[in-house]
Amino acid sequence: MDSVIKATVVFFALWAIFRVSGRRTLGEMTAFDFVLILIIGGSTQRAMTGQDYSLTNALLLVATFVTLDVALSIAELRWPAFRRILNAMPMIVVENGTVLRRRIRSARVTEDNILEAARRLHGLERIDQIKFAILESTGAITIVPAPPDQAAPTGPPRP
Amino acid sequence: MDEFASRHYPVREDMRFQHRSWRIERAGWMALAAIALAGLTGVFGVGPLSTGYSSAAPLGVRYERFQRATRVSAFVFTVAPTSSAELRLHLGGRFQRDFEVTSIQPRPARTATGPHGIDLIFAKERQAESRVVIWAHSRRYGLNRLAAAADGGPAAAFSVFVYP
Repeated sequence: MDSVIKATVVFFALWAIFRVSGRRTLGEMTAFDFVLILIIGGSTQRAMTGQDYSLTNALLLVATFVTLDVALSIAELRWPAFRRILNAMPMIVVENGTVLRRRIRSARVTEDNILEAARRLHGLERIDQIKFAILESTGAITIVPAPPDQAAPTGPPRP
Repeated sequence: MDEFASRHYPVREDMRFQHRSWRIERAGWMALAAIALAGLTGVFGVGPLSTGYSSAAPLGVRYERFQRATRVSAFVFTVAPTSSAELRLHLGGRFQRDFEVTSIQPRPARTATGPHGIDLIFAKERQAESRVVIWAHSRRYGLNRLAAAADGGPAAAFSVFVYP
């Protein structure tokens, strides 16, 4: 019984911590963030298993986690409001070549993050080549490029 | 258009909800920082706020007020000098039932059991203060009210709170 309770407590505690830590956690993961995730996994794993390394305990924990995960995804489908609470909402951070600065500051995203996504996804070089940049609920930044005739005709500086 | 007004294209936004979640996010950071700082004070065990002391002559006991399940903590019993060559340390029934003892220093010469707990009997020098350290961890979460007595004296009551 205690395995199921422990797994449930850890599941919701971790969910709450990751939710308040913001979307940057997973969207723009650095090498150090990855190490941090491993440490968090290691610390919680011992609290759940304790000294019980039995197969039964492992299966109980896995069954509880997967059940909770499936239950939440069903709840998301049924109640859209629940989805916003669970996963945050997408938000526009560049609109017609203009960075929405107060928004990116609140969301802890920088202009460099947006430009990096623009380069990576579409080979774009400047903000004015972006029609929309959207901070998705997953934490990733997606880019809708501006049509070529709308971007300001300022080319790269000549050497 | 106001930067914080909700857009509906290419994604449907709800900036009021967004603001609310940012506020909750900030409150969450504060809560996490408060938990970490509280950890330093010993509220979750091991720290200045966690050290407890209780006494009922001739016995004094130093213990961790806040303990964690499976983490071994020390109970230090000191007994004022007596003319006896034996020390009889009585631990109440709850200690026997709810705590798993990892080690007792020094080892008792013998033990006796009764309806209200266990007695540990140690050999000691006459007219010398004696000290017994018991390392143990609780099997029960929550508040544990414990009691101990030495040489048939009054019981020193002490409580430890055990985190899961």
